[in-house]
Amino acid sequence: MSDFDFSVILDNLPFLIEGLGMTFLLTLLAIAGGLAIGTLLALARLSGFAPLAMVAAAYTNFFRSLPLILVIFWFYFLVPLILGRPVGGFYSVLVAFILFEAAYYSEIIRAGISSVRSGQVAAARALGMNYWQTMGDVVLPQAFRAMTPVLLTQAIILFQDTSLVYVVGLKDFLVSAELVANRDQRLVEMFTFAAAVYLVFCLLGSYAVRRLQQRFAT
Amino acid sequence: MIVLDKVSKRYGDFQVLTDCSTQVARSEVVVVCGPSGSGKSTLIKTVNGLEPFQGGTITVDGIDVGDPKTDLTRLRARIGMVFQNFELFPHMSVVQNIRVAQIKVLKRPEAEAHQKALALLDRVGLGEQAEKFPSQLSGGQQQRVAIARALAMDPIAMLFDEPTSALDPEMINEVLDVMQELAAEGMTMMVVTHEMGFARRVADRVIFMDEGRIVEDAETDQFFGTPRSDRAQLFLSKILHH
Amino acid sequence: MNYNWDWSILVSEPYMGWLLQGFGWTIAVSSAAWLIAFTLGSTLGIMRTTESRLLRWIGTGYVELFRNVPLLVQFFLWFFVFPEILPDDASRWVKREMPLPAFTTAVVALGLYTASRVCEQVRSGIEAIGPGQRAAGKAMGFSEPQIYRYVLLPVGYRIIIPPLTSEFLTVFKNSSLALTIGVIELTAATRQIEEYTFQGFEAFTAATVIYSVITFAVMGAMRVVERRTRVPGTVALGAK
Repeated sequence: MSDFDFSVILDNLPFLIEGLGMTFLLTLLAIAGGLAIGTLLALARLSGFAPLAMVAAAYTNFFRSLPLILVIFWFYFLVPLILGRPVGGFYSVLVAFILFEAAYYSEIIRAGISSVRSGQVAAARALGMNYWQTMGDVVLPQAFRAMTPVLLTQAIILFQDTSLVYVVGLKDFLVSAELVANRDQRLVEMFTFAAAVYLVFCLLGSYAVRRLQQRFAT
Repeated sequence: MIVLDKVSKRYGDFQVLTDCSTQVARSEVVVVCGPSGSGKSTLIKTVNGLEPFQGGTITVDGIDVGDPKTDLTRLRARIGMVFQNFELFPHMSVVQNIRVAQIKVLKRPEAEAHQKALALLDRVGLGEQAEKFPSQLSGGQQQRVAIARALAMDPIAMLFDEPTSALDPEMINEVLDVMQELAAEGMTMMVVTHEMGFARRVADRVIFMDEGRIVEDAETDQFFGTPRSDRAQLFLSKILHH
Repeated sequence: MNYNWDWSILVSEPYMGWLLQGFGWTIAVSSAAWLIAFTLGSTLGIMRTTESRLLRWIGTGYVELFRNVPLLVQFFLWFFVFPEILPDDASRWVKREMPLPAFTTAVVALGLYTASRVCEQVRSGIEAIGPGQRAAGKAMGFSEPQIYRYVLLPVGYRIIIPPLTSEFLTVFKNSSLALTIGVIELTAATRQIEEYTFQGFEAFTAATVIYSVITFAVMGAMRVVERRTRVPGTVALGAK
């Protein structure tokens, strides 16, 4: 431990920050895409239209039964095959994350929607609101408020999970750290540093979640 | 105005409503009472199609509620409903609660909807509370907002589903007073309630339900004076003597 | 899409052997890691509900630390960093003599990480029982360990059968991370088949089917166990 070399971190800081940028970009895009598809899946599952609900349930259960790494491999292999040309790891990985996260988000959103009391739906219907108005103006705003802490927790998990792009070599924060570690033979420093950076961001995130929960509790 | 003809409903094997027939004329106030589980809340919810039913017909202002071709959404916009648990939208301020359906459903301009909301709040005695959120109001105040919200749609009739059952005793009268005023102005009303004092003062007719059937349907004086059925007599003796 | 289908590779050697061996390693890593996760996680979870501030603090610290570093980074820490910071003798043993280094590291890393998640489930199960039961236990003269042994844990564990099952399935899926330090488990085996034969579709389908079949089977078994052990009048956490 005595020869812990901080200079290797400082010297490579711009390179590492670039990797961190990729990690955040991937996280944000996957959250946005996952939320959008997840909301549609949740609405499909609660639609009361059996075939639609079954398809949505099958999708959710199927993706939740698979390891994320396998899903990443699947799309890394499939996306270029479907498009008929190589597209680079980023897009394949992004598709994998969005479709994978959508399954988890849809479960969270479904629980959130179910937590809104049925009387609220009856009241909106009694006022003459149609399905989309009832969902958009009455149910979803309440559901999303109730779900915010859980959605944020899922975002923290996703932030950590993006490190799995390591298996296809996409240059995110962890891969950048690993490249430096191997090139300069500074594995101890780089991996410890990487762990510390993830820890700080995730602790900040879970602190935010706790603050939100307290605010919603009062 | 509202005509129910042999309305029946079941959940699976459980018969909730059996052959319920009655009418509510324009400007008439009808109170529906009966023991809990008698089907009175379900009955009132079939009137605006919130509860589907399998047998019989319901027409409101000449429109067939059970007809699959009927645009229920449009019909509901013309019938006001007040719920036992208020069901104000907790994420909207009081005035937003009263505005939202006017704007989204009736397509009224925002300014007009806002003016109307404020005027109705004044009318139910809550002009000062416009910007508060439902959770900051007492139960009685919330229920008065809910009445204002329903009135904002200029309804042709109002349905009340146990509007005072969730209230503390000292708040019941402020809500009943608003309802009584409404009746005096000639609103057509169907009210599920246990408040027999209100029924006696305000109702034109009283319907008594038990086990999903309309057991008694009589003029108010006649109902309280000489109820014909034993069950209605028993119910009245229990509810009036405590 | 231009692709030559050949499902027969899945049943031809050596690829079928790779699949079976991969599956074997997946099961081995998951079960060994679950053993650690369950025992350590239960201990930590109980610690977080005790009246001792120190024990609660240790439990909280553990959870915050292990839940907030990506599992993959934890794998690397145990595999690359941990042997370096040990005293010389121990370091030499881990690097040269420890049997099955990749497997052992994967089990430890996955087990310690999952313990933090099991801890939270156990804690929420015990907390769901409410303070009344604890007070009743005390009133009957039970010691604190007795309260846990006879009152809180028998109910608490029953309540958390569903979330514990999904934690077990998480371990099962997360065992795929062992491939990053060289354990050729199921996912790695299929990747290997893809790289050797270019039959990615067939290879990944095999893994997909195995993972989902196991998941659905475990969920089904859980429902049976849950129904058999349910305490009348209680509802399982997260049960559907």
